[in-house]
Amino acid sequence: MTTLLYTHSACQEHDTGFGHPECAARLTAILNVLGTAPFAALEWRDPPKATSEQLTHIHSQSHLERILGQVPKQGHYAIDGDTIISPSSGEAALRAAGAVCAAVDAVLGREAHNAFCAIRPPGHHAEPSQAMGFCLFNNVAIGAAHARAAHALQRVAVIDFDVHHGNGTQVAFEHDPGYFYASIHQAHIYPGTGRREERGIGNIVNVPLSANSGSAELCQGWNQKIAPALRQFQPELILISAGFDAHHMDPLAEINLSEDDYAWLTEEILAVAADCCEGRVISVLEGGYNLSALASSVAIHVKTLMAAPATT
Amino acid sequence: MYEFLQYHVRDAMTVDPIAISPKAKLHEAEDLFEIHDFNGVPVVNDQRQLLGMLTKFDLLKAFRFDSHTLVPHYNAIMEQLVETVMTCDPVAVSPQLPLSRLLQKLVEMRTKSLPVIEEGNLLIGIISRQDVLKALRRSTVQREILTPRDRAS
Repeated sequence: MTTLLYTHSACQEHDTGFGHPECAARLTAILNVLGTAPFAALEWRDPPKATSEQLTHIHSQSHLERILGQVPKQGHYAIDGDTIISPSSGEAALRAAGAVCAAVDAVLGREAHNAFCAIRPPGHHAEPSQAMGFCLFNNVAIGAAHARAAHALQRVAVIDFDVHHGNGTQVAFEHDPGYFYASIHQAHIYPGTGRREERGIGNIVNVPLSANSGSAELCQGWNQKIAPALRQFQPELILISAGFDAHHMDPLAEINLSEDDYAWLTEEILAVAADCCEGRVISVLEGGYNLSALASSVAIHVKTLMAAPATT
Repeated sequence: MYEFLQYHVRDAMTVDPIAISPKAKLHEAEDLFEIHDFNGVPVVNDQRQLLGMLTKFDLLKAFRFDSHTLVPHYNAIMEQLVETVMTCDPVAVSPQLPLSRLLQKLVEMRTKSLPVIEEGNLLIGIISRQDVLKALRRSTVQREILTPRDRAS
């Protein structure tokens, strides 16, 4: 079955300044791998810019205007100590959110089973009215909202395995029974949210892990907490906030996952998707800051998406 | 080695060590570490009463991941005051403590140096692993039969 790959050159032009870990080289490393022969079956697509209608399903109009207005003509502008923008950042952010919306249209239009969005800036920390933690617009939440608004889906799930909690996605979803959000992340690091007790209206599942956790804790969290709740929710579409910074070589956290763990978790998510929603999965890049670990982890993740079993 | 057993902390310590104010900034402490190759510096008030110790380990701890930023910011962290990250009420020793006892304490605590105080909590010295090693050598080498290698040097 076809797997789509959405990416755009503007995402590589989003410049966060010298030495910043969320850098263009991340995408270069990923695309270099995805351009090799084993991935020849991927169908590459250029995403359009997200429309303001798509963006305002999640963000306030004033947030859009503020972010796009802060984009500097030259040099850099620091929204906060972590979140730096440059002249191409506005277009990159619009293409990133647009990629997820386009992937939603394609997958729900049965053009493909699943899709990977190799985009930056990442999105899951962006709250309805606040850019933060490298994130400007909440790409995955915008895609989920688009699926409901444009395709009349009733239940959309986001599974977030980035090592940091997706505070922005949680805030966007926590009062709406049409969304499900589950996150497995390291406790007590940025952004400080994602405690087990944060359950929204029963539609949020947080699995915080202590430093030095690895495969065993991942399996336990998925099998005991996330998978049963996700199956019970019966999603019509699953989006993945795919951050690869829980890898044991990542410099920004202290969780010890390996490429095999990412393959396993991807298979598990695909299995739920096969049972609940005809295999419809859209995976969206979030973090991951060790370039070689990021590239090899994305490679195995995408290879697993491409090998998704055909569903009826 | 017998002579070593006669030594006290005062025989091996560095007298009147450089100390830092609790209101100094971390980058000033880092400068001291850089210039003097200190591992830790005592923190004292204007009367030179010991308030704490600031070590390289404490500086490292200030850079641990936390919930405020994704990436720890060097300049912002180095602007913090010494008192925010120092170890308060540190273990200190008396100048009269036998050096052999001090050695046990350093090993037990895995610490690199300890401040030396006298009555009134006044800082009068600091004693480090290196000081103890030097005292061990000094107390032994002079007394023992020289090997050919020692004679050559």
